[in-house]
Amino acid sequence: MSDPIRGQTAICGLGITEMGKVYGHDASWFAGESIRLAIEDAGLEKDDIDGLLVNPGITGMMGTGISIPLQGYLGLRNLRLLNHMNSFGATASAMVQYAALAVHHGMANYVACIFADAPLQQGGSAGAAYGGAGRRGPTGMASLMPAFGFYGANTSYALAARRYMERYGITNNDLGRVSVAQRRYAVDNPHATMRQPLTLEDYHNSRWIVEPFHLLDCCLVSNGAVCTIVTTAERARDLKSSPAYVWGMGQGHPGNFPHAEIEVGTTSGATVSGETAYRMAGVGPEDVDVCEFYDCYTYTVLRTIEDYGLAKPGEAIGLYPDDPADPEAELPTINTGGGQLSSYYMWGMTPISEGVIQARGSGGDRQVEKHDIVLCSGNGGTLDTHGTLILSPNAN
Amino acid sequence: MAYDKPLPNPDENTQPFFDGLREHKLLLQYFPSADHYQYPYSDRCYKDWSTDWEWRESTGNGEVYTWVRMHQLYHPSWKEEIPYTLAVVQLDEGPRMNTNLVNVDVDEIRVGMRVKVLFDDVTDEHTLPKFEPV
Repeated sequence: MSDPIRGQTAICGLGITEMGKVYGHDASWFAGESIRLAIEDAGLEKDDIDGLLVNPGITGMMGTGISIPLQGYLGLRNLRLLNHMNSFGATASAMVQYAALAVHHGMANYVACIFADAPLQQGGSAGAAYGGAGRRGPTGMASLMPAFGFYGANTSYALAARRYMERYGITNNDLGRVSVAQRRYAVDNPHATMRQPLTLEDYHNSRWIVEPFHLLDCCLVSNGAVCTIVTTAERARDLKSSPAYVWGMGQGHPGNFPHAEIEVGTTSGATVSGETAYRMAGVGPEDVDVCEFYDCYTYTVLRTIEDYGLAKPGEAIGLYPDDPADPEAELPTINTGGGQLSSYYMWGMTPISEGVIQARGSGGDRQVEKHDIVLCSGNGGTLDTHGTLILSPNAN
Repeated sequence: MAYDKPLPNPDENTQPFFDGLREHKLLLQYFPSADHYQYPYSDRCYKDWSTDWEWRESTGNGEVYTWVRMHQLYHPSWKEEIPYTLAVVQLDEGPRMNTNLVNVDVDEIRVGMRVKVLFDDVTDEHTLPKFEPV
């Protein structure tokens, strides 16, 4: 039994800007490009947009990100829905969810959901862009973090990964198989930043960041924006591009409590979020054709696969070939655009954008043949927040 | 050579914790109504929202919950140490602490390894609670 809202709403427009080391523009500029591309994709006019949900990325933490003033910058005069949202990497799923609920109940007709970011500066490193975000001198017990030498999101995820790896006997070579598999998809993705083929040897030769993570275990940092426009299924049917119907939605937020009673590293919010979304869609893990998972790190992909019930705990790596660089080796249909590791890092909009492309069947050389059920995940904090979208090219 | 790494910066609420470190005591917040130890500092118990608590000395015993080797240089003062070991220690009282593991061969570190606190007086005013194998 599915929920009556299954297939009643859809993503009808997608705008993906130029991605990566694109300099000379702020996040608002990228946001403007993404919404322009999205209304063109949908065949809409500017004045049709009556809802705007925005999520800044790293620039949001730096104080230069998009927020409510984006409405004025874009001259959107017909808004009936407006908000700045942030549950970190889970925000993009949540924006589409709240937009879907709003259009379903007549609060708005066309809601633009925008993620935009521009943290990369010419001559600066990606690590500096992220590690420096929002850095002020901490006080109290938080000041112990730099005193012990803890810095950056890489460290917290590496800590989670180590626990998972020791628990299940996962090796660096295993993490490398995820990285190499995703790169093989990115080679065929014109939106992707990293399109040079990768081997396991390249993976092992990439420098350590925070062991167990090599450089090639970590996502990119990108300048760019993605806009998705959400409307009702009825409206979406008559528009220019094929809709990606929203079948399932869910969230799960375990939070972060540094205490023995909460497990970190071998669980995430995907379990609860996934069950909610599966129930709404009336499908289960066995029905999923394509996965677009939030992949801030290679480890996160394995963790997510298991929490969605697509493999038993510790066995997600079994879905990957021993050498994913081998052109004869069949890849799992996971992160088919290269993901955040190889294509672009737009927080939760990376998986959703590729999910829309796959659901529409417009993935070109990387298109998955059977794409009726596309499962997209968003994940924020250190596995603290989670959102799920199940998309389909079919209304029913 | 003078110690040049970032130093703790206590505030009003956490000053007793840092004073405790100077005396080689590891203090935790204890909330009696939920029988709950909490770290890091909060003015409220996250279990039952009680604001009634006291400092209690920890045994300083625990186990390695997870650990990593930091290779990336974020602050120039770590240049000579890189790569260094960061760990999360699960204290027997319940809370987990971010810390450094010392006096241990990297090849020997395992999740679940028993450790105890070691007070490192890094300057005349500052002591850091690090951990070493039992």
